[in-house]
Amino acid sequence: MRKYWTVFWVNWQNALQYRGPTFISLLGNVLRVVVLLYLWNAIYRGEGRLGDYSLSDLITYYLLQMVINSIVLSYSSWEIVDQIREGTFSNFLVRPVNYLHYSFMINFSWKLFEGAMVLAAVGVLSFFLLPYITLPSRPETIFFFILALILGGFLSFAFDFAIGLLAFWLVQANAFKYMLQYIIFFFAGALLPLDLFPPLFQTVAKVLPFRYLVFFPIQIFLEKEPHPVEGLLAAALWGIGLYFFLQFVLRRGIARYEAVGQ
Amino acid sequence: MAVIEVKNLTKTFKTHRKEPGLLGSIKGLFWREAFYNEAVKAVSFSLEEGELVGFLGPNGAGKTTLLKMLSGILTPTFGEVRVLGFIPGERDRAYQRQFAIVMGQKNQLWWDLPPAESFALNRDIYGVDPKTFQSALDEMVSLLDLKDLLNVPVRQLSLGQRMKCELVAALLHQPKVLFLDEPTIGLDVISQEKIRGFIQEYNRLKRTTVLLTSHYMKDVEQLCRRVLVINHGRIVYDGSLEDLSHRYIDHKVIKIRFASPQAAAVLSGMEGVVELDAHHAVLKVKKKEVAQTTHRLLGRLPIEDLSVEEVEVDEVIRRIFEEQPSKEGG
Amino acid sequence: MKRWVNKGARTMVRYLSLYRSFLTHNLKNEMIYRANFAIAVVMDIFFMGVNVVFFAILYANVETIGGWNFHQTMVLVGSVGVVREIAYLTFRQGFLELGEYIRTGRFDAMLTAPMAPNAHLAFRHVSLTESLGEGLMGLALVGYGFAHLPEAAWSSIPFYLVMLINSLLIYYAFCLMINSAVFWLVKSQELNTVVYYFIDTARYPREIYRGMGKAFFTFIVPSSLIATTPAAILTGRANGELVILSLGVAAVLLSLGLAVWNWSLQHYSSASS
Repeated sequence: MRKYWTVFWVNWQNALQYRGPTFISLLGNVLRVVVLLYLWNAIYRGEGRLGDYSLSDLITYYLLQMVINSIVLSYSSWEIVDQIREGTFSNFLVRPVNYLHYSFMINFSWKLFEGAMVLAAVGVLSFFLLPYITLPSRPETIFFFILALILGGFLSFAFDFAIGLLAFWLVQANAFKYMLQYIIFFFAGALLPLDLFPPLFQTVAKVLPFRYLVFFPIQIFLEKEPHPVEGLLAAALWGIGLYFFLQFVLRRGIARYEAVGQ
Repeated sequence: MAVIEVKNLTKTFKTHRKEPGLLGSIKGLFWREAFYNEAVKAVSFSLEEGELVGFLGPNGAGKTTLLKMLSGILTPTFGEVRVLGFIPGERDRAYQRQFAIVMGQKNQLWWDLPPAESFALNRDIYGVDPKTFQSALDEMVSLLDLKDLLNVPVRQLSLGQRMKCELVAALLHQPKVLFLDEPTIGLDVISQEKIRGFIQEYNRLKRTTVLLTSHYMKDVEQLCRRVLVINHGRIVYDGSLEDLSHRYIDHKVIKIRFASPQAAAVLSGMEGVVELDAHHAVLKVKKKEVAQTTHRLLGRLPIEDLSVEEVEVDEVIRRIFEEQPSKEGG
Repeated sequence: MKRWVNKGARTMVRYLSLYRSFLTHNLKNEMIYRANFAIAVVMDIFFMGVNVVFFAILYANVETIGGWNFHQTMVLVGSVGVVREIAYLTFRQGFLELGEYIRTGRFDAMLTAPMAPNAHLAFRHVSLTESLGEGLMGLALVGYGFAHLPEAAWSSIPFYLVMLINSLLIYYAFCLMINSAVFWLVKSQELNTVVYYFIDTARYPREIYRGMGKAFFTFIVPSSLIATTPAAILTGRANGELVILSLGVAAVLLSLGLAVWNWSLQHYSSASS
């Protein structure tokens, strides 16, 4: 276990080196969300209304979405695809580490680092938007919300790790990576709240586990989620299942890597 | 009139020191200690038309920085440079059409296309008219024996073939001045030989002024009658190569692999032995005694393999610096 | 005066012919990776499709956004795609690769060639395919919106094209300013995510902004002009004020961008190692 914490710390140092770039991409993210806030404001000013969301519900939704984007959503597949394609993955074959655990720790330190930065940014934004923010009324909501974030983080990593492993089988893994990531983004509710979707899309979104990444935690925060505990349990079960599934796929991938060589 | 005229040229870089560890990283967010690094210090020299001059010095001595200032990539902090009457830092188009720089480790050819395509593009960039272009290309292709490679994608070429093509790409506009930064780095011996031969021939035919840096003594030995030795940003020697080697290098290195371990005992205690174990030995021998010593060794000992090698440039430089310690202490 | 005009014309002709050379080379290069090309087109169409779905969902709940109905918004969204494709065909990719060029020394080679470094950077990797799917899908959306708008007039098309070029100039100026920082950071990827968001937010109508936001998205990050101005012309929503504003912003930003770029270049050649 100790070695994985070292991985965490080393990458934390590494992340600090990227504080400038990370800050800049955070600015881009802030820009995106601010524009959306103007969009909702324009719609509600024109007396339009989206589902049963009030304007402050929507503003809160997108501020939280921004936080989740940094703290929860994993982009590990970037590095995984690179390592497999360029052959640096071999370094992990000759060392006594489990690649899944290793990648998780790398991802974990990135997420904490980006999380610290995004919380500062959202803090500043919230200060200006305070009258438009929907805050939870029940104390246990916060507890459920944080639990949902943690589970969402595990699940997001698992999905993205799986996408990264595609590189064992596909030469064009990068293209698929983008599309799959975006499909997950979409069905996670990062673009629009899932309950605004047309009925067919809503049914699909309910069956898929991606809603646990974004939509589900935010619904808990907004206290619109009727079954938080059941949802958390389901997310945890997905996590456990995915863990064993990924270990299995990783073994198959390594077998292929050794056979083909890239 | 001198083609290249450098007076008191100085280049200072400002850098920041990073403290190690987490605390250092956090501290670095707010406050960083700036310090100045003089890469080139008050350098002066001049080159006449048609000269082929070698720049010698270890890594980080300031060779590349100097070449970059001569080509206008870097502007000097202090001092004067003139090449062909131009100030390189102004990046005058007329100047850019008259010189070329080739960096051994950098490649400017299009990776996936055949070199002929990169050549054609350079023709357009440098505005070379098609006739002149064709004759220059034909000439170099035959000099370098590249005919069969012109239509092979660059990524399929060997390192040596690629370097030849880099040279062609740089010379298509027939520059009057050519800067070569480590043109033979990483190449096999035969390719090195070819490239050297080409540079020599080209310089002779076109009277192009060439300034070349290299790690390999061979490059400089074969090509340059005059060398500039630079270390810690200063020129510490400017003169002929013969004088340099006479003054600083009086020995060669003999490397031996024994056929049987008994031989080692004979050598132990002998003068000039630098390294010795049961299977190998390295000897430092005065130049004029090399033939005699080799002969003696081969006659007396069961030797499987023996080679005589030149002292490496870095060691020459080290020697020079043993005699002329830098005042700042580096 | 005449001499200046002549010189200007000659420079123009030279750079046009240089652009043609670079374009041919890049097309040959892209032909080698035809498979990637097909995948890139599919991906682009997919992403544009998600945008359309996004707006379709919104318009299922509301009639207009900032005064724009669904079909007008489709012209707007499509115009962003067209602008991006033309940008990749002229200058965009070079900026994305600037950091790499600096690291590998290829940018140094650009500084020694007898050609303006910013033009060299722009032309080095002009790409037809990088954004082709977006361009095609964009054209289709513009056509679709145009066909469903009774107020849209054929006669506005030339003016639409002129303002599209104006938007490209704004886009270029913004790229110049943002990427001037690459000379310090030697990384272009993250900086260009800012540019990405800039162009990505252009697909919302300018009318959604109020107060400070309006000023910000007009003068600092002028994304509210990029697609709105041409689309407003094609959909008959334009007024003189908006057009003059766009032209003015383009002129000011371009001079500013070039000044910042040249100043940074000066820093680079006095500070790189």
